[in-house]
Amino acid sequence: MSDGQDSGRPEFTLVPVADAPASPDEVAPLFSEAVSDGTRQKHDIFRPGPGPMIEFRDVVKTYGGDSRGLDGVSLRVGTGEFVFLVGPSGSGKSTFIRLIIRELRATSGEVIVGGRDLATLRRGKVPYLRRAIGCVFQDFRLLPDRTAAENVAYALQVTGHSQKNVRLRVPEILSLVGLDGKYDRLPRELSGGEQQRVSIARALVNHPRLLIADEPTGNLDPDTSLGIMDLLLRINRTGTTVLVATHDQHTVDRMQMRVIALQEGKVVRDAESGGYHHHPSEVPA
Amino acid sequence: MKLGMFFREALRSIRANAAISVAATVTALIAVFILGAFIPSFMYVRSAVDSQKAKVDVDVYIADTATVAQVNALRGKIDGLRTDGTVASATYVSKEDALRIMKERLRDPSVLDELPSNPLPAKFNVKPNDAENADVIVAALKDDPALDPTEGIVYPESTADRLLTAAKFVQWAGFVLIGILLLAAILLIGNTIRLSIFARRREVEVMRLVGATNWFIRWPFMIEGVICGLVGAIVAVAMLWGIKVGVVDAWAAGADSALTKTGSAAGTIAFPLLTLVLVGAGALLGAVGSAITLRRFLKV
Repeated sequence: MSDGQDSGRPEFTLVPVADAPASPDEVAPLFSEAVSDGTRQKHDIFRPGPGPMIEFRDVVKTYGGDSRGLDGVSLRVGTGEFVFLVGPSGSGKSTFIRLIIRELRATSGEVIVGGRDLATLRRGKVPYLRRAIGCVFQDFRLLPDRTAAENVAYALQVTGHSQKNVRLRVPEILSLVGLDGKYDRLPRELSGGEQQRVSIARALVNHPRLLIADEPTGNLDPDTSLGIMDLLLRINRTGTTVLVATHDQHTVDRMQMRVIALQEGKVVRDAESGGYHHHPSEVPA
Repeated sequence: MKLGMFFREALRSIRANAAISVAATVTALIAVFILGAFIPSFMYVRSAVDSQKAKVDVDVYIADTATVAQVNALRGKIDGLRTDGTVASATYVSKEDALRIMKERLRDPSVLDELPSNPLPAKFNVKPNDAENADVIVAALKDDPALDPTEGIVYPESTADRLLTAAKFVQWAGFVLIGILLLAAILLIGNTIRLSIFARRREVEVMRLVGATNWFIRWPFMIEGVICGLVGAIVAVAMLWGIKVGVVDAWAAGADSALTKTGSAAGTIAFPLLTLVLVGAGALLGAVGSAITLRRFLKV
């Protein structure tokens, strides 16, 4: 496994997060205080409070005619949780994710993210919602004509950070995801796993409270997939809520985290900790 | 810093889509060039027509037999027309004045000395406020008893009418032509920006993903459009300058232009002002073209 977790990365101080588990030997540190600049507070649209990070109340999403993306989904994902979203193609996983980042709007029901009802969120506020949510996709969505560092820097420039801040934060975050020494490589010069790490770095660089990964290991071999999942788990341990939509049975079985299974737009299973398929001993969430 | 980034992104996009950007620039160039050739020509024709229109005046001849009261009544009517705005000015030319003017015009005034009496009638020389009002003035005065029965009222009816028709045609044709040209340029620049949006759809997608605001996404495209418009306009101005110096000035200096010889007051726009107008038009074309396209194709 080429995670690079033990490859002598410089140490960073952990930003204290209330509900991060205190097991320092296991948890690699994430963000350092040195680059925290208050931007997150200024544009934070999430309402403070102990409520869940994601709440769906009887959400229906239809795509014209009879095709249904989601058919009456109700569930809660608590702050700091790590959740797998599983199900066959067309079961509604992508619809679920696109509703959370408000690429789509629910036909009926309520989608509440970080305490905000997305139905009442003004159009102009949508960019700020997306800054609070990091997104990672199967196809990485990197800009092919920019280096790893430029791809990450782009997310900071676009959200109005100073050049100084960008210079400070980009190497730190790239080192954090295990890309030391590869800052100046173009995406085509990186392996699939490395490209996905760049995309995770880009998703993380704005300090999101919620990280959403849609099939993040779909294009990767099993070993590389494990490395990526470990990285996502480490991010989760710093207090970031992580939602991973996946087909990857092996990974889900190995990690034994909460699993939400969708089928034809309905939640057919919600286990507190389990594998890809139902097991009689699992506890419902 | 933000502005710097927008410019860098716009230039990066222009470099990346060089062919499309060149097409947009050439389109702007053609539109601005035609506009730039048309504006001075149009203004020259209009100014020539205006100077001819200013020369349209109405001569109201007075019968030698008219009484002082009749002449005063006629003067009163003309004054009335002046108060309601159809007449700009009116001058009384007495029989003696008319004879003196005639003498000044003749190369050999001694022929007039042969005349037993002064045959020239007195007149009011009436200048209409607008050449179009000449008909109104004629209608109001034509039955006046003080009029000279043979001369009556004289004015260059056909000249005035033809000039007016020509002036109106030139004006409307000009507006329509300029309108079509500007519209074509805007649509073509808009189309270019659309292609640019398509070429950069991955970037736009990523920008949305990481939470860029609408205007943050739009600015580089706006700047791209304006740069294309501006560069096109500057090249067009340079070409027009070459044509002005090389062709028009040489022609005007060398040729026996009938209009300049007759002391026509016709003029045209000064080149620096024209440059300013054209460069402004180029920038505006780019901005409007981009803005329309962005509204249609870049909804967030």
